Amino acid sequence: MSIIAVYNIKGGVGKTAASVNLAYLSSQQQGKTLLLDMDPQGSASFYFRIRSPKKFGAKKLLKGGKHIEENIRGTDYPGLDMLPADFSYRNIDIALDECKKSHKRLGKVLEPLHQEYDRIILDCPPNLTLLSENIFYAADCILAPVIPTTLSLLSLEQLFSFLEEIGQGRDKVLIFFSMVEKRKKMHAEMMRSMREESGVLQAVIPYSADIERMGIYRQPVVAALPGSTAATAYESLWHEIQNRLPA
Amino acid sequence: MQQPGADTWYMPDGLQVDALLSALAAEFGLDIAPEYAATVVYTDTFDWRLYQQGYLLHCHGQSWTLYHGDSGEVTVQQGGPELATSCFARDFPPGQLRELLEPLLGVRCLLPLATVSLSGRQIRLLNRDEKTVARIVVETQQPAGKGPAFRLVRLFGIRGYDHEQARVRRLLEHNAVHETASPLIGFEEGCRTMGRRPLDYSSKFVLELDGAGTARQTMARIYLALLDNITRNIPGVLADWDSEFLHDLRVAIRRTRSGLSLVKKVLPEAVVNRFSREFGRLGTLTGPTRDLDVYLLNREEYLNRLPPALRPGLDGFFVELGRRRLVEQKKLVRALRSKKSRAVLAAWQRVLRSRDRQPAPLAAIPATELGRKIILKRCKRVLRDGQALDAATPDAVVHRLRIQCKKLRYALEFFSALYPRQEMQILLRQLKKLQDILGSFNDLSVQQEMLRLTLRELRAGSRRNLELAAALGGLMQSLYREQQELRTHFTEAFDQFSDPETTALFHELFRKKQEAA
Repeated sequence: MSIIAVYNIKGGVGKTAASVNLAYLSSQQQGKTLLLDMDPQGSASFYFRIRSPKKFGAKKLLKGGKHIEENIRGTDYPGLDMLPADFSYRNIDIALDECKKSHKRLGKVLEPLHQEYDRIILDCPPNLTLLSENIFYAADCILAPVIPTTLSLLSLEQLFSFLEEIGQGRDKVLIFFSMVEKRKKMHAEMMRSMREESGVLQAVIPYSADIERMGIYRQPVVAALPGSTAATAYESLWHEIQNRLPA
Repeated sequence: MQQPGADTWYMPDGLQVDALLSALAAEFGLDIAPEYAATVVYTDTFDWRLYQQGYLLHCHGQSWTLYHGDSGEVTVQQGGPELATSCFARDFPPGQLRELLEPLLGVRCLLPLATVSLSGRQIRLLNRDEKTVARIVVETQQPAGKGPAFRLVRLFGIRGYDHEQARVRRLLEHNAVHETASPLIGFEEGCRTMGRRPLDYSSKFVLELDGAGTARQTMARIYLALLDNITRNIPGVLADWDSEFLHDLRVAIRRTRSGLSLVKKVLPEAVVNRFSREFGRLGTLTGPTRDLDVYLLNREEYLNRLPPALRPGLDGFFVELGRRRLVEQKKLVRALRSKKSRAVLAAWQRVLRSRDRQPAPLAAIPATELGRKIILKRCKRVLRDGQALDAATPDAVVHRLRIQCKKLRYALEFFSALYPRQEMQILLRQLKKLQDILGSFNDLSVQQEMLRLTLRELRAGSRRNLELAAALGGLMQSLYREQQELRTHFTEAFDQFSDPETTALFHELFRKKQEAA
């Protein structure tokens, strides 16, 4: 059992697309998987056509136990369940702040789920808050999609210094390049300069219309268009992550 | 909250699939997968090793599917051998299926059990977001033969969509889909036409006994159960599917012989004498093939006992054993098929089922009394003979104690249903530990003797025989050392068996209860 958090401070870097596709691959290859949509926008939930349950929200999430169990939904794919997001997650830091041991609360409520699931994947909102701190404590691996641009690299530095601040090592972090455009010279140069650094994965997710259109066909691209360039890219990314994860 | 499992119903005769689908379409979007159809052969070992673990395995040509019987969840789907009459785990190509099957099947082979034609369609039921909220499978299962086809409707719920599932159930109910069915009905009926029923055979001796029965009635039931075991294993021995048929056959014969020698004066003396002789003969004629089976099954273990340089010396040895086994197996088949053998088994059944003209002296005593006496007597013998056991006891004496233990074991197993279950299990467990060590010791002794005889008959002079002799020497050394090592555990094993708690339990259960009399 391991927990992977897909995270970046910056938005629009392909976090949700990665979460959805990797969760699908995990359920196919490694056994029962739970995808937790932590982003109040609920994009991952939208991709799986799952609406937020009526009586569910940030407070219920942090209570844990049956409040979580009752609100888990099966996706269209056997072996892959998800806990949909709720709009109230936008205020989750306030709710967290009221909890005891507020920076470890999320890890605590996820504990009972280790029994049922072989893997939990967290799709995280783009910011640096108390919730992020919770996520970093709970996760075995922080998977950070990065567009090879200067600003993205800056956000990575911010992530690393935050991790240092809360006493977590940067070795938990795995980085992969996302939304890469072949014809952009800067992308190629940025990637070349970083490829050799530890924690940087070799698999690359290209900028792809097939991924963008996921919002239209509302399925993981790996399930809808197996064999497409995008699907193959996610598969090799997943394969590489697999080899890096603690057993 | 548990994942909702599948529910299965019979499709009413008057209901057409299309009618059911249009009823569902009134409330849900439907996504109908193309129709599937395949004739599959369900397979398992003779003693249901897969079914016992909740697995079902079927093949369709060379494509094999292993899945869980309850949930219907597929575990592995993979290519494999064509199943003509039987096949072993080792016949599968390396891969996940073989890895799963090897420990489950062990030395047993897979046999075809039931042939069933499956055809049907899977339908996803969708809500307004076109999200799947439940799955329906409409399937026809037609067992081979003249039997009827079974039309089934199965519902697979999806976690978190309980309301939708309830609506589906209501719709099914409205369409008269309410008679529940086993999702494995085709498999079960297919087995029935082949004369089988899941879990209808186990090599363990388990028998429900009537505590109020007489000694004669009870012994007849025990012998008939053993006879059933014998006759059911014979086809497998004749066809030589796997080595366990012969092994189980021999165990049933040995148990019968043990019964005849342990339990006197319950059947008429003439009957006991005659069938002791006859089952003795059956035991003897099944011996040589089994001995060779054991060596052949041990091949890997033998090779591992030798340094690599000596291993090739055994190649010819195993080829020769294989050749001898073919000869012995042929003899065995002839002997089992003979009129004489068949007549003996038929006569034994007649005797057990009919009334004795002159009942034996103890025929009418209560079965519990009979069991008590015999078990206590056997137990005393083991305790007495076991006292003398130590690291220096000669092989022959160890062998005798092993036989005593075996007799006690059989006696406990015969009558176990007549006494408290938990206590009997404790006694059997204690005894089994002692038996295991004595059994291993004896096996090592017998194997060394066999190797010694092989060595004696080996002619000097050829290079090949020289290498074989070296390998045999190496093996004997390894077996001898292991045997000596076991000796050092004798006292400890017997002390465990004869500890005050176990002996007290024996006495408590089987001592004559004078106060009650």
